[in-house]
Amino acid sequence: MAKPAFWQAAWAVAYKDLQIELRTRYALNAMALFAVTTAVMVSFRLGPLGLSRDPRSAATLAVLLWIAIFFAAMNGLSRTFVREEEAHTATLLRLNVPALAVYLGKLVVNLLILALLETLVTLLFIGLLNVTIAKVGLFLATLSLGGLALAGATTILATLVAKADGKGSLFTILAFPLVLPLLIIAVETTELALSGGTWASAGSGLQLLAAYTIAEHVAALWLFERVWEA
Amino acid sequence: MNRTDAALQLSWQALAKTYSTRPVYDQLAGELHWGEVLAVRGPNGAGKSTFLRLLCGLERPSAGKIAYQWQGQTYSPNTMRPWIGFVGPDVALYRELSALEHLQFLAKARGLAAEQAYWCELLAQVGLATREHERVAHFSSGMALRLKYAIALLAKPPVLLLDEPTAMFDEHGRQFVAQLVEQQRQHGLTVLATNDDRDATWADLVLTVGAAARG
Amino acid sequence: MLATTFKWFTGIWLGLVAVAMFLWVPAHEGLGNVGRIVIMHVPTGWLTSVAFLFSAIYSWRYLRHGRARDDALALAAAELGLIFSVLATVTGAIFAKVVWGTYWNWDPRETAIAALMLIYAAYFALRTSIEDRQRQRYLGSIYALLAFVAVPFLIFVIPRVTDDTLHPNCAILNTPNCQGIELTENGRIIGTVEDFKVELLGIEQQADLTVATVSILSNGTNYTLKPSFNRASNKPETIERLPETLRDVQIKRLVGEPGNQTVEIAIANTGNIGLLTEQRTLLTFFASLFGFTLLFFWLWWLRADVLDINEQLVQQGITI
Repeated sequence: MAKPAFWQAAWAVAYKDLQIELRTRYALNAMALFAVTTAVMVSFRLGPLGLSRDPRSAATLAVLLWIAIFFAAMNGLSRTFVREEEAHTATLLRLNVPALAVYLGKLVVNLLILALLETLVTLLFIGLLNVTIAKVGLFLATLSLGGLALAGATTILATLVAKADGKGSLFTILAFPLVLPLLIIAVETTELALSGGTWASAGSGLQLLAAYTIAEHVAALWLFERVWEA
Repeated sequence: MNRTDAALQLSWQALAKTYSTRPVYDQLAGELHWGEVLAVRGPNGAGKSTFLRLLCGLERPSAGKIAYQWQGQTYSPNTMRPWIGFVGPDVALYRELSALEHLQFLAKARGLAAEQAYWCELLAQVGLATREHERVAHFSSGMALRLKYAIALLAKPPVLLLDEPTAMFDEHGRQFVAQLVEQQRQHGLTVLATNDDRDATWADLVLTVGAAARG
Repeated sequence: MLATTFKWFTGIWLGLVAVAMFLWVPAHEGLGNVGRIVIMHVPTGWLTSVAFLFSAIYSWRYLRHGRARDDALALAAAELGLIFSVLATVTGAIFAKVVWGTYWNWDPRETAIAALMLIYAAYFALRTSIEDRQRQRYLGSIYALLAFVAVPFLIFVIPRVTDDTLHPNCAILNTPNCQGIELTENGRIIGTVEDFKVELLGIEQQADLTVATVSILSNGTNYTLKPSFNRASNKPETIERLPETLRDVQIKRLVGEPGNQTVEIAIANTGNIGLLTEQRTLLTFFASLFGFTLLFFWLWWLRADVLDINEQLVQQGITI
């Protein structure tokens, strides 16, 4: 198939998924509720000022922020693929859309969902926990790269999980060891951004994160068709 | 119809399929050419649907080969997909989308031109003229099957695979399929998997599967 | 015939290693009897990584050629990897409790093996959740490969979690950094020399002498020592004996102006050095490494054969 048609196909898949997601809001509701629950629970005991008095608050907040993002993401990111398998619409896609176009379309949807989720979690943390972000640029860079890396590692896992029988709980179990490097760096760099660290001090972490993102995306592109046609 | 188009040929050799422990069939071989209609027949569980799934690459054979020769080139079931129209109970539709949205999405996904008029004409042809904006969730099973036909015909495919083509249909729907199969003789080849004797009368060739497995 | 010879050879070899480990190897000067655990701990730890590598290689081969035998080898390697990682973790935890006072402290290698165990666990969870055998192999192989892509990053990332390793590298090889460590006032104040954790508590000046106060963790106890350095003669002055060992603690070198001085703390060996510098220990250690590697390969092929036979029985409709 011609190249423009390929991108058009990928976009068609993304557009279709967004259309369906906006009509059902399964993934968005589950993720948003998880994010709100986490933020409220943390704020409820520690109070809006509780953590800011703690000298280790940047580290604690960075960990809590990524706990909220990771587990909320685990609630929603597998939805797009699991839904196709459960509703048996995957066959329709396999017959009509090139495999890689399906992958890219779903990746775009997951990236959008993650961007929304990260925005929501950040706003909740600012509002409920009185988080001040010392280095906004560094913070945004960490969230963007972290989101890209998370989507790269988990979109293919979602395909895998959708083909397995114990869909719900399996996704987190499979994803956690794979995204451990990403979580460690993301927490570290977020802590630097919250406490006013320099770009130079975060540089090597961001480089590793970028390398991880590229490696996971390449592996996913290479393996996707095999999973999808399995 | 020109000469290269007419060169369409589907062949399968030494075909075998085994589901973990159960052999479905072994050593199937045959050919199908432009303008021909093949009916796959056999008892339940004999692998009629499986045969169709093998023909469009939804499943891989345990042994043997399937090839399409078309316009001077050889295609595997997977690479032939852009020119295959498939109708069957395996294909489910998106409950949240309307009939027209299905055609919009799949036309874009197949890299076809956006032709609203053609889509509406297609929907009218399968008998969904007034329901095009309704969501599939509200469709009856017969209507859903009609939409599957519209989807299968979207790209005017030379290969038509119909699994249980009339299972949900009334007499009116049956006539529509009969007409479609007759028309397809001008456009390519058709494979039907059916248990219905009336459907089988449309076919030139019959492949009976499952005798071996029942032993 | 060959297989039987191999089996007996491995069995006898490992039996001899076990005997030597307890009877022939002398107790370690610093660590005592617990030092013997290294003879088992290191080979099992090493085979955990070997198993992971083989599992990925055979998963890749399975995806390429689709032969059930390759997947059986990948699965068997993963199973052994899990067993050996548990052995390495348990022996390591015992050693850590005795020597460092805690079973677990997120040391880089502990983190790495924990991640490997999580990956193995996830791999088995995935496989057991799929009923169709073909699909089970297929998706299992893909997960093994995805994990294989992620693990190198873990190796880069993990050292960032903690500043230093408590793992006794010098027990295996006597590299230059086993000799001493550079610590700086208002800078890096904590580090390790061989198996000892060293912390610089302060530096003070007394005429020509510079006295460092260091805290050294040895055998689970913290000792505070005050070695000194003579700036006039540019030589170590006071050399302190680390209690209950044959080690001497000294300032080997001094750089920088007061307020921002760097001292190189060395822990010299007056008696026996390292764990494996003792001849019998070293010999038994390598014999053990070799024996466990043989054991690994024997179990690996055995298990893969069992999986193969099981698969053939299933093909014929027999279930055990």
